[in-house]
Amino acid sequence: MSLEIVDLVKVFGAVRAVDGVSLSVAGGEFFTLLGPSGCGKTTLLRLIAGIYQASNGSVRLNGRDLTAAPMHTRNLAMVFQSFALFPHLSVFDNVAFGLRTRRVPREEIRQRVKEALALVKLDALSERFPAQLSGGQQQRVALARALVVRPDLLLFDEPLSNLDARLRDEMRFEIRDLQRRIGITTVLVTHDIEEAFVMSDRMAVMQAGKIMQIGRADEIYRSPASRFVANFVGPINELALTRVETIDGRRRGIAAGELTVWLPQAGAGAGRGSASLVLRPEALRVAAGDVGTENRFPAEIVDVVYLGGSSECRVKVGNLRLSAVMPSSAAARFRPGEPVSVGWDANDGVMLDAG
Amino acid sequence: MRDSAARAPWLFAAPLLLVMAAGFVWPLLQALINSFHPNTPQGIDAGQWTLGNYARLFDSFYGGVLVRTLRISIMVTAISALLAYPVALFLARLPPRAQSLVILAYVSPWLVNTVVKALGWTLLLRTNGVVNTVLRGLDVIASPLKLMLNEAGVVIALIPGHFIFVLLPLWAAVSGLDPALTWAAGTLGARPSAIFWRVVLPLTLPAFVAGLVINFIMNMTAFAIPMFLGGQRNLVASMLAYQVNLISLDWPLGGALAVMLLALTLILVWAGQRAASFLTAGRGLRP
Amino acid sequence: MIRAINFAMLIVVLAPVVVVIWMSLTPTSMFVLPLTQFSLRWYREALSYPGFVDAFVLSAELAFLAAAITLVLCFLAVYGIVRYRPRGAAALRGFFTAPILVSAVVFGIAMLQFVNRIGIYNQFVGLLLAHVVLVVPFAIRSLEATVRAVPEELEWASMILGRSRLSTLLRVTLPLCARGLVTGFLFCFLLSFSEVTTTIFMTGPSLQTLPVRIYTYMSDRIDPTVAAVSALVVLVSIVVLVLLNLLGGLRRLTSQ
Repeated sequence: MSLEIVDLVKVFGAVRAVDGVSLSVAGGEFFTLLGPSGCGKTTLLRLIAGIYQASNGSVRLNGRDLTAAPMHTRNLAMVFQSFALFPHLSVFDNVAFGLRTRRVPREEIRQRVKEALALVKLDALSERFPAQLSGGQQQRVALARALVVRPDLLLFDEPLSNLDARLRDEMRFEIRDLQRRIGITTVLVTHDIEEAFVMSDRMAVMQAGKIMQIGRADEIYRSPASRFVANFVGPINELALTRVETIDGRRRGIAAGELTVWLPQAGAGAGRGSASLVLRPEALRVAAGDVGTENRFPAEIVDVVYLGGSSECRVKVGNLRLSAVMPSSAAARFRPGEPVSVGWDANDGVMLDAG
Repeated sequence: MRDSAARAPWLFAAPLLLVMAAGFVWPLLQALINSFHPNTPQGIDAGQWTLGNYARLFDSFYGGVLVRTLRISIMVTAISALLAYPVALFLARLPPRAQSLVILAYVSPWLVNTVVKALGWTLLLRTNGVVNTVLRGLDVIASPLKLMLNEAGVVIALIPGHFIFVLLPLWAAVSGLDPALTWAAGTLGARPSAIFWRVVLPLTLPAFVAGLVINFIMNMTAFAIPMFLGGQRNLVASMLAYQVNLISLDWPLGGALAVMLLALTLILVWAGQRAASFLTAGRGLRP
Repeated sequence: MIRAINFAMLIVVLAPVVVVIWMSLTPTSMFVLPLTQFSLRWYREALSYPGFVDAFVLSAELAFLAAAITLVLCFLAVYGIVRYRPRGAAALRGFFTAPILVSAVVFGIAMLQFVNRIGIYNQFVGLLLAHVVLVVPFAIRSLEATVRAVPEELEWASMILGRSRLSTLLRVTLPLCARGLVTGFLFCFLLSFSEVTTTIFMTGPSLQTLPVRIYTYMSDRIDPTVAAVSALVVLVSIVVLVLLNLLGGLRRLTSQ
């Protein structure tokens, strides 16, 4: 079941919560809406579900126009952040709810509920009530309840935020595996980058009701379309660029007012006003001797921060502060105050419009 | 140190406890004690004990008053029950500012004393009152309706008067529901009516029942409205209490009547709570 | 349809009060319909009628004292319950809210017999006691919300810095509860001011509050004068309600 959204708009009073969003999700794909709180991702999900009515634009599920259709006719299912289990119904009755509204015969209900609970590994708890379950168990019930109706589309609204960290990690993979096995088209909303990266096939980064970029995790991480996206999905070193020029087919500019750097071949901001050079910490190399990269500068270690498997090396190049990340075994030899050289290959940087 | 911390809350509560003991518990006990003494022309005979006062309450006259009081109360509570959900649901869907205003409008008459309200209802329902005049003026009726000095008038006036006791708790419960519950039901295929019957109603039923119990108690013990709108021909329990205590000055009987009313009230509250916990049994719901 | 029910209910709930005010403005000595001309003559009648003025003064004094006393007693009790969370907390709360369940009539009968027994029938102190008890359940509920709204951490900070529990209560907690205390006071004032049933049962002709005075007047006759007095009572209620609402009190008081 493919999902097609064209120019979707939702206005609340003076606020354009969703401001002209278009995207398409292929059948069986796991698609994530990623962004900071207030970016409109949850509103967008609720528009798809039919909880809100769109102000403009269209939502199509496998060609069928859902835009004006009431919630209960859309044949999709949603898992909520608070799980939204019916407190007055047992686990069995919760899962059976969607089947009962569809007037599925009793025997079939029993069979399908049993299967759904087995799928989420909760078969033994069908007679319990939500208040007697742990957070993780409630989550699974919510999942079973959504899956048992065989929806055309599965929606998740920050389903893991109410779980503790370890459980969250586990559930990410479980949900992912389940989704792959069943092959159901899925849209997930989250503000957690790692979650989006682990679970999705593709994602859309949203800000202020608009989509900033759509793509796979590696595309978004390595080739962010804007400064906002770059900064949102991971830590960056950002250098203001001036006097960008092309010399023998290679581009060059002045970074942070001091350093002459070779710039990547591709990238925005070429020739236009102000631009930034964005460097991921893992793209920076630090060495006691010659660092061996296209761009290299003498630097001084300011601090080494131990983070477990990796460490952060904070260095000073003139007045410019940069942050590099490397395996802790490599970082162990550096001491604060030590002179080193730091550098990167031109194509490891990304040129973006500033601001 | 720990000992003083255990005593402290009781020290804070002590003044209020004393006042309540003197002004609440003792008077009730006094009435209870009086109810077991016989009444004589010289006053209460504190030396003798009897159950005669209670026995008198079961004779046909007093029994008739009780039945009438019950009849009126049940009618008012039943109609209020039917009206409560539509109004509460409507209210809960209004924008917050409008909600506050409407709640204010509903609450304000409660803070005006019932005698003034009884006056208002009198002016509305009597033979040449507002309602009859308007209906006759619009040619809806030929001769005036008898809307006062009968049970109908009492019921008509009590419904809005005590509505707030059901409405407020129910509205609070409806507003307090996690909206995700209704969304979950909706996405699972339940149309709006099914969402109400399967999700909203079961989850708000305890508050609803509690509100109905209070409403019923208020109906049973109403005084000013039945007095002016029902009149002497339609005695209810409170008017009877007035006659017995302040006119006949038969305090033992009056005390027995008070005890009976109180017992009835407590039984109702208990029954209401049992109903509420039955409805939430094993569901892990807060009643 | 549901909207219609709501509007109808709202009208019906407000109708008696509106009618009283409307009718009090009749220019003649009878309630003539339709009422197109308005006159304030009955207000002058009502205000010059000594029975009403005396009753108003009594009601106001009574309400003021009852609210003040209740507030002090309940604030202390609520503070003890909320901060110390003693084991009998639920029972205490139940006890303090019991007067609602006992109902005004039963309580009135009990008070009547009680004040006679201890010889203070028809005296202000007995009436005051009754009004305090009647208002306690509402004060408890309202004050509990107020005290809970003050974060306990503030009190701990104060005590760690050297103030005793009592000093903290007076200098830290109390000021922060100011708004809640004022709204609680206004609410209790209004409740006492409009109390009828219990008061009727336990007072005689020489100690009549305004609602009781209106009641006895009405038992005799129904005329524009009593409508005018009632309208004034409504006016007082409205003023206090508006004050309450401005202070945000009603939202606090009406949410369970």
